[in-house]
Amino acid sequence: MANETIYMIDEIVTRPGHGRAFLDAYMKSYAPGAANRGLQLDRVLVSPPMWLEDQPNTITATWTVAGVPAWWAMTISGRTDPALAQWWADAGLWIAERKRSFASAASDVEALSDV
Amino acid sequence: MFKITKLVTFDPVASARDRAAIVAALQAAGASRAAACLVAPVLPGVYFGGDIIAHFQFENQAASRDFEALAASALALPAVSHIDSVEYAGGKGASSDPLPSGGVYRTLLLCVSPAAAPRQIEQFEAEMAMMPHYIPAIRNWQLSRTVRASGTQNWTHVWEQEYSGIEGLMGPYMMHPYHWARIDRWFDPEHPDWIVDPRICHTFCAFQKAII
Repeated sequence: MANETIYMIDEIVTRPGHGRAFLDAYMKSYAPGAANRGLQLDRVLVSPPMWLEDQPNTITATWTVAGVPAWWAMTISGRTDPALAQWWADAGLWIAERKRSFASAASDVEALSDV
Repeated sequence: MFKITKLVTFDPVASARDRAAIVAALQAAGASRAAACLVAPVLPGVYFGGDIIAHFQFENQAASRDFEALAASALALPAVSHIDSVEYAGGKGASSDPLPSGGVYRTLLLCVSPAAAPRQIEQFEAEMAMMPHYIPAIRNWQLSRTVRASGTQNWTHVWEQEYSGIEGLMGPYMMHPYHWARIDRWFDPEHPDWIVDPRICHTFCAFQKAII
């Protein structure tokens, strides 16, 4: 194991017509704190690639962090900040459902599991 | 087995003599009333883990009743500043490795949100119980629901493990993807599956004889 890239993937299905508002808030008021915790924004995808007015958009934001120790440092630094959980609670205004998952490149699976 | 664990924090100004007397009193209480006990100082790196782990096992809950008064007497001293305590019937687990050379006993006290649905709690417990399958460094283990708890939280669960050494806890347990990429979401207030209060007690100590 040698600081393999860990991906944090947020997949958000917005309430109909709220895709752009959610992404604006995510980038303006969530992303800076995530960067301060050690995450690097890899990409943000919007599906379908237009802002729907009467249907949901699905927004997929992918972040990276270098290695498992850095992953722990990232998550622990946010765990005692009640503002983070509150941010997501407040964002419920725009969110129909969301998932968060952690992943690696397929080529890193063996190394990450060999601990 | 029925189990009682107390994580005892000393007043910072408590003397070494007072601390040693409390440890001795807890060991004596365990020796006279419990089927097995482990009273030991915590190792560096605990998180709200107290100064000593005092862990006692009884044949059943009824057998523990005499013990509580003895323990309360041992701990009702100014040298003790805080106690997190749990009482529980041992839940699902496995203890096939006697670890004859000793090792590290680790216990995690956690509090599941009262808002969590029974289905979520069952899934959480089922996934936790698979940790030893994916992380063989966990030699013996038990996951239990409490019947009584006190301290900083109304602790709902106790997650005990034994390792052959501290490296098993700090290495494979913490670094395995089943832990950080799968299980940890239950503990993460940012995650939509979050159900465990972030204020946990994570503590561990050395042992000569396996106790789980």
